[in-house]
Amino acid sequence: MSAERPMSVTTAPSETMAAAAAPSVAEAVAAIPNATSTIERIAPSRGERLFLVLSIFIGVISGLLVVAFRIAIEWIRILLLGSAPHPGQDRLLVVPAVMGLVVAAMVLWFFPAARGSGVNQTKAALYVYDGYISIRTVIGKFLTAALAIGSGHSLGPEDPSLQIGAGVASIVARNLRLSRRRMRMFAPIGAAAGLAAAFNAPISAILFVIEEVIGSWSAGVLGSLVLAASSSVVVARAFWGSEPMFRIPSITMKDWRELLAYAVLGIFGGLLAPLFSAALGFLRPRLRALPRWTLILQPAVAGLMVGAIGYFGFPEVMGAGYGAIDQAMHGEFVWQLLLGLVFLKLAATILSFSSGTPGGMFAPTLFIGAMLGGAVGAFEKHFFPGLTGTVGAYALVGMGVLFAGFLRVPLTSVFMVLEVSGNYSIILPVILANTIAFLLSRSLQPVGIFEIFTRQDGLDLPSMEEQREEAVLHVEDALQPVSVPVVRGAYTIQTTSEVLTETHASACLVEFLDGTWYVLSDAELTGLAATLTPETPLQRALPAERAPQLFPDMPLDSALHYFPRWPLLPVANRAARGTIEGTLTLEDVLTRYRGTTSG
Amino acid sequence: MTTLHSGVVLTPEERLARRRLIVHDALSLLTLFLITAVIFALTWLLHRSFEDHREELGRRWKTRGEQALAAGHPQSAIEALRSALAYVPDRGTEIELATALADAGKTTEAMAYFSTLWDSAPGDGTINVQLARLAARQGNEATAVLHYQEALDGTWQGNGYDRRREVRLELANYLLSRGKSDQARTQLLIAAGNAPDDPAIKIQIAGMMEKAGDLDGALGIYRTLSTRHGAPVAALSGAGRTSFELGMYRAAADYLSRTLAQADAETLPEAERDADRGMFATADRIQLLFPAYDLPARLRAERILSLRNTAHARLAACSAAPATAAALGDLVDRWNQLPARLTVSGLEQDPDLEQTIFQLVCDTETVTASACGQPSGDDALILRIAKNPGAVEQP
Repeated sequence: MSAERPMSVTTAPSETMAAAAAPSVAEAVAAIPNATSTIERIAPSRGERLFLVLSIFIGVISGLLVVAFRIAIEWIRILLLGSAPHPGQDRLLVVPAVMGLVVAAMVLWFFPAARGSGVNQTKAALYVYDGYISIRTVIGKFLTAALAIGSGHSLGPEDPSLQIGAGVASIVARNLRLSRRRMRMFAPIGAAAGLAAAFNAPISAILFVIEEVIGSWSAGVLGSLVLAASSSVVVARAFWGSEPMFRIPSITMKDWRELLAYAVLGIFGGLLAPLFSAALGFLRPRLRALPRWTLILQPAVAGLMVGAIGYFGFPEVMGAGYGAIDQAMHGEFVWQLLLGLVFLKLAATILSFSSGTPGGMFAPTLFIGAMLGGAVGAFEKHFFPGLTGTVGAYALVGMGVLFAGFLRVPLTSVFMVLEVSGNYSIILPVILANTIAFLLSRSLQPVGIFEIFTRQDGLDLPSMEEQREEAVLHVEDALQPVSVPVVRGAYTIQTTSEVLTETHASACLVEFLDGTWYVLSDAELTGLAATLTPETPLQRALPAERAPQLFPDMPLDSALHYFPRWPLLPVANRAARGTIEGTLTLEDVLTRYRGTTSG
Repeated sequence: MTTLHSGVVLTPEERLARRRLIVHDALSLLTLFLITAVIFALTWLLHRSFEDHREELGRRWKTRGEQALAAGHPQSAIEALRSALAYVPDRGTEIELATALADAGKTTEAMAYFSTLWDSAPGDGTINVQLARLAARQGNEATAVLHYQEALDGTWQGNGYDRRREVRLELANYLLSRGKSDQARTQLLIAAGNAPDDPAIKIQIAGMMEKAGDLDGALGIYRTLSTRHGAPVAALSGAGRTSFELGMYRAAADYLSRTLAQADAETLPEAERDADRGMFATADRIQLLFPAYDLPARLRAERILSLRNTAHARLAACSAAPATAAALGDLVDRWNQLPARLTVSGLEQDPDLEQTIFQLVCDTETVTASACGQPSGDDALILRIAKNPGAVEQP
């Protein structure tokens, strides 16, 4: 079964992916089941059932590890930065720099796959490595991200949680002999579980994995995603409680024109998100292109700079920053300070992330969005006191706005805001502002941030954004009017032969009373005539097999595998059984695809 | 986990393999379960330890914040309470933080914070009273009164009875500051009706009633307190003061003399004592001037004659100015109708004439006060008597 391991494991083009493949080939091979076909014969539904049961285990274990991960971050923060960091403390300068050095050493020498956020690594596990994430990666991610975030680097715990969850899933799944297809799907399931526990938001986690990792809705995976995400959230809530992350007052839209104020926020978010992406896209490859010996210093320098921001007055930008988000939600900052925090956090995050320090971008994105929302809201309310929305409401919408614009996950961004606030009353402003931010950001920066990182890493993972918008051809796009003769099942072989001779057709469609069809070729008819009497009706002469049921709305590629058997395919009408709307030949399909490619 | 009825005919070897697979899966899941249990136990221990530490930090910062708040250092309190909230989110601490924000003059931030808290607990008395104070500070009277009312109707932790009374008095004070004396009086009446038997509280309510113009109500409270053994000097002073304002000069003189004779009169502020002394002197002099019915007939006649002379002199002085002569025409006519020669013995024999003269004296002081300005000396005292002659001798 070693042949099942992709060759790219040993020839991964980037450092990141090479790190993901860090375990030896022998170790990887041992993790792959070696009797899949036998197992599927003796226990055909085993895989499906195990898949569901394991999803729950993965959810529970991921939830537990994410809880432990969050505790580790908090504890490290208290130990290293003190229980209430404030400007002017020397440790704000020293700790991030020193811990940056420690983390860099760990990443370089022990856990190379722990570098980065974890989202692309999970995608790579799904698309390149058959769902394989090593246990070393999981441990490394846990330790290095906890140290980095806890020491004040401007990064978040969500993306690492996602990768930890995916790693847990991979470890659990490969100890049971499951098919490669199922093995591959465990990574996103674990990712959803990890993210759900980190955000205390199961729906957002599921949507994010579907929008950004898997790229499509699949009933088979959806059940497992829901089970895993729900299990992990149940576990997380058992420890942290079921309170939503942020609380803001209910919003009553007294005047629809107030939506304009939120639309303005969407525009600002749509402008800021490409700036964030572009800055990361610019700095990250340049830092990575520096001599290798600088890699160990980069997180330290980034830590020193982030620490300096904290030391000179803005410790809010250090770490994930959820405390500051909460303060912004409660309107504790004036708009000038909020705006300042937007750009300081932006700078801190760009530095921290580009330096290769392990940690995620979700929390910084939420932070910047919340501050932007709060600033825009406070500014608008200052000049238009009639606006009824609180600054907290604008901060909350702002979080969604940047999430949609920067991470390019519009659906997730809406549900994320609803789930982290537990406030449904804000849905209209969120949908409006997020949509504006998403569309504006995409028009200014067509390539999403995950796609940028993928390309920088030398990988070619599928872009979910592109996939979503890809025009899928359907049967109706290649459908042609019926040009072959249509005969009934009661027709004799001789009558049918005469019809074909008269029309010079190479095949004909045979219609049966039960509404099914058969495509009879000239050669097949000749064969029948040679073995049966001319008076034999077709319904007795033809085998029980019938032409496949195709409908105009089906994907065009679904017709391809029928052509070796059938010269042409009837396309039926869904509303009237037995009625055909046209036919499809291999030539029609290929012509349509050629037209699309050239067009 | 293996399907037992797969519908596929299996060879004996395959059946054996399937059995092995079932055992393998069962053992795998059991192992997984045990691993989960171990991770759970470790996470639980870690979490419990961490939570204990957080609680300790939260308590420590909360205490620091409360101390800073009590010491009047709201800025330090804000930082400490924020830290406390980061470790132990708690409504009480949130309210204290919002209060510290308000105390630090960060009205907008405090308002936003309290609004957030109010949204989750609209019936909380503390939150409502803080919102009322902030609205009052922002000059939003309607909102302030609304939140004060919600605080009165809301729930309170601890002694809600006392807190409601305090809020009601605060509301009354606010209404007074906004010139809404009628509404303030209503609140004070309710507060007085529900007040416990505590002299300090009753004196406070009575003082506010004075400010609201409810002198009768205030006097009633002061009097009740003054009848007690060891009556508080503030109650005696208040009773004297309100009696004086109501024109009850006999009672005022009585209360004020008791006040000034009290050993603890020194506890009163100097200005208040001086005012009490002045009022006592005035009330005492008025009693010497006033022709009370219970005086011997001769003395009463002498006083009326004396009052007549004083008022007549005031009228003459006032009439000398050409501008006021016309306004005093009716009064002069009434004076002219009096007998030309009045004696003490004559008056003693004619109580009706006494009354007519006393009424004319009162009217003269009242009219001349408006025509020629406020009088001084005995004229001023007679004017006081004229305002409510019937009250002067009320006990």
